[in-house]
Amino acid sequence: MNLFSVAAKNVRRNTGRTFFTVLGAAVAIITFVLLRTVLAAWNVGIEAAAKDRIGTRHKVSFVLDLPKKYIDDIRTVSGIKAATFANWFGAKDPKNPNAFFASMAVESKTFFDVYDEMKVDPAVYQKWLETKKGAIVGDVLAKQLGVKPGDRVTLSGTIYPGDWQFEVIGFYEATRKSVDRSQFIFHYDYLNDSVPPERRDRIGFVGSRIDDPTRSGDVSAAIDKKFDDNDVQTASMSEKAMGLSSMAMLSAILSALDIVSIVILLIMTLILGNTIAMGVRERTNEYGVLRAIGFRPRHIVAFILGEAVTIGILAGVVGLALAYPLVELGMGRFLEENMGAMFPYFRIEKTTMVAAVLLSVGLSVTASLIPAYQASKLKVTDALRRIA
Amino acid sequence: MAEVESPGQEGPNSTSGHPHRAGSPTSRAGGPPPIIELRGVGKVFFRGKEPVEVLSNLNLDVPEGSFEALMGPSGSGKSTLLNIIAGLDQPTTGTARVANEDITRMSDSQLANFRSRTMGFIFQAYNLLPVLTAVENVELPLLLVGLSSSERKKRAETALRIVGLDDRMDHYPRQLSGGQEQRVTIARAIVNDPTIIVADEPTGDLDRKSAEDILNLLERLNKEFKKTILMVTHDPAAAERASVIRRLNKGALE
Repeated sequence: MNLFSVAAKNVRRNTGRTFFTVLGAAVAIITFVLLRTVLAAWNVGIEAAAKDRIGTRHKVSFVLDLPKKYIDDIRTVSGIKAATFANWFGAKDPKNPNAFFASMAVESKTFFDVYDEMKVDPAVYQKWLETKKGAIVGDVLAKQLGVKPGDRVTLSGTIYPGDWQFEVIGFYEATRKSVDRSQFIFHYDYLNDSVPPERRDRIGFVGSRIDDPTRSGDVSAAIDKKFDDNDVQTASMSEKAMGLSSMAMLSAILSALDIVSIVILLIMTLILGNTIAMGVRERTNEYGVLRAIGFRPRHIVAFILGEAVTIGILAGVVGLALAYPLVELGMGRFLEENMGAMFPYFRIEKTTMVAAVLLSVGLSVTASLIPAYQASKLKVTDALRRIA
Repeated sequence: MAEVESPGQEGPNSTSGHPHRAGSPTSRAGGPPPIIELRGVGKVFFRGKEPVEVLSNLNLDVPEGSFEALMGPSGSGKSTLLNIIAGLDQPTTGTARVANEDITRMSDSQLANFRSRTMGFIFQAYNLLPVLTAVENVELPLLLVGLSSSERKKRAETALRIVGLDDRMDHYPRQLSGGQEQRVTIARAIVNDPTIIVADEPTGDLDRKSAEDILNLLERLNKEFKKTILMVTHDPAAAERASVIRRLNKGALE
C-alpha cells in the first residue's frame, strides 16, 4: 500500500458515479479520437506526398483542362525526369450512383512510372496495354463494384456523359497508406477517341517526376514560365502544395473540427472537475482525519491528484478501447471502402492514441487542481467539523 | 489551576461509584510530571466580526499515564480544548506544552509531525476510509513513517490483535459493526505507539454493550500500555471509567 494506491482505490468509493464520469470522459475521448482521425485521414495524402513529384494544372482552376500538347513542352523542361497526364472522368456506377470513386483516363505508358506507389503486376500491365477498353482498378473499388479480372463493366460518365464499357484487367497494389484503393484507371486514348472532336486532345493535369526534390520550386516556375504567353496558363507546384491548395477549400471545415475537438475537451474537463469537486467536498471530514493523524497538505493534494490521474487513465483507456474497434473494424473500414477518395486511410494514428490518454490524464489533473488546492488549505479543525 | 474529580477509592474500573472532588494538581507533588501543561490558554473565534471567547485563561496539568475525562455542556469548549492539546488548533493566548514540547510555537508542518509522533486520535464518527480494509486503515498513519511494507503490515496486525480484531483484518468498514469500526479506529490511533490518545466522544455512536467494550479497551491501553488518555464525553457512565473527570463550563474549568 502507498499513497497512490490509496488514492486509486478511492475511485471505487462511489462506483456508479465513477462509472458515469469515466463513461462521459471516455465519450469525449472517442469524439476527440474520431475528429483527429478525420483530420489525419484528410492530411494523409499531403503528408505522404512524393517530394520529387510536381503537378501542373490550369492556372484558373483544376476543373479546367489543358491542351494535350503541353505535355511535350513540359518534358523538355530542365530537371524533369518523367511526366505523365490524366483526365478526371467522373464515372458513376449506374447501380449505385451515390457512391463516389476516382476515375481517371491516363497516359498508359507513363502513368504508373510517375505514380509508382500504385504497383501493377507486369503481366496484368501488359494485358492492359493491349486492351483498349481495359481498366486497372483498386481492390476496394472492385469489391464495391462486385467485379473481378475479366469482367465487363458499364459506367456512366458525368464529365463525359454516356455509358462507357470497360473490361477489368486487374488490380493495382497500394504501396503507401495514402493511396486511394478505390480508383478506376483506364486508357486516355479510349476516352480521347470516343469524345466529340471539340473535346479531344485536352488533358486534366500533368504529373512530373523531377531529378532534385529541392528544386521543385524552380522547376515549377520554369514550367509555368513556358506557358506565360499562351492563352491557357498553368499553375505548377509540388504535390504537397497541390494537396494543400485543394485542402484550402476545406480549411473552414478543418478549423471547425479543430475547435469542436477543443470544446469537447473543455466539456470533459468540466465534467471531471465537477465530479472531483463533489468527491472532495464529500470527503472533507476524511481529509480532516488524515491531516489530524499527521498527513500534510501536500499529501492531501497527492491523494486528490492521484485519484484524478486514475480517473484520467481509466477514461483514456476506456475511450480508446471503444474507439479502436469503432474505427478500425467499423467506421474506418466503411469509409475506406465507400469514401476511399476522401479517406483512403482511416485509421487511428499512434500519436492520436498517445495524445488521447495524455490529454485525458492531463485534463483530469487540471480539473482537480482547484479542488485539491482548496482541500489542502482547509484548517484541520474546520475539516473535522464539516459534514458534507 | 484546574480542579479535578476522581473516582477515588473505587478504582478506575468501577462503574457504580460517583466521582468526587479530588485535590488540586498541587496535591500531586512528587507524582509523575505533567505531560500536558496549559498556562493561561484562551481561544477566541470570530462569528463574522463578533469575537466569541470559547476558552478563557485556562490552566491545566495532566500527569503522564492518566486517563482523564472532559465533560461539559455543548459549546463549553471541550472539543476546542482537546484540539489545542492535540495540536490541531492554536490558542489565541497562553502556552501549551505537550510531551515536553511547546506546541504553541510550532509551524503547521511541525505540528503535523508532532501529531504523527505523539498523538493517537479516536473520533466519534470513526472516519475510516471505506475503500481500505481494517488492516489497511490501521496501516495508514505508518505511511508517514518510512517503514517497509511488511513492517507496516506487521505493526498494523499487532494493533488489530490488541483491540481484538485479528479475525476481521481483511474486512472493509461496511462489513464491521459500529463497535468493531471504533476498535479499528483505536488500532489506528495506537499503531504509531503515541504517548497520548485523544478521544472525542468515542462511545457517542455506540450501543451500551459496544461502548463498554471500547471503554474497557481504553482502560487497558491506559493501564497496560501506559498511554495517557484524554476523553471528551457527554456520557457520565463513560466518564466514570476515567481516573479523573474535569468539567468545563463556558470556557473555564470548574
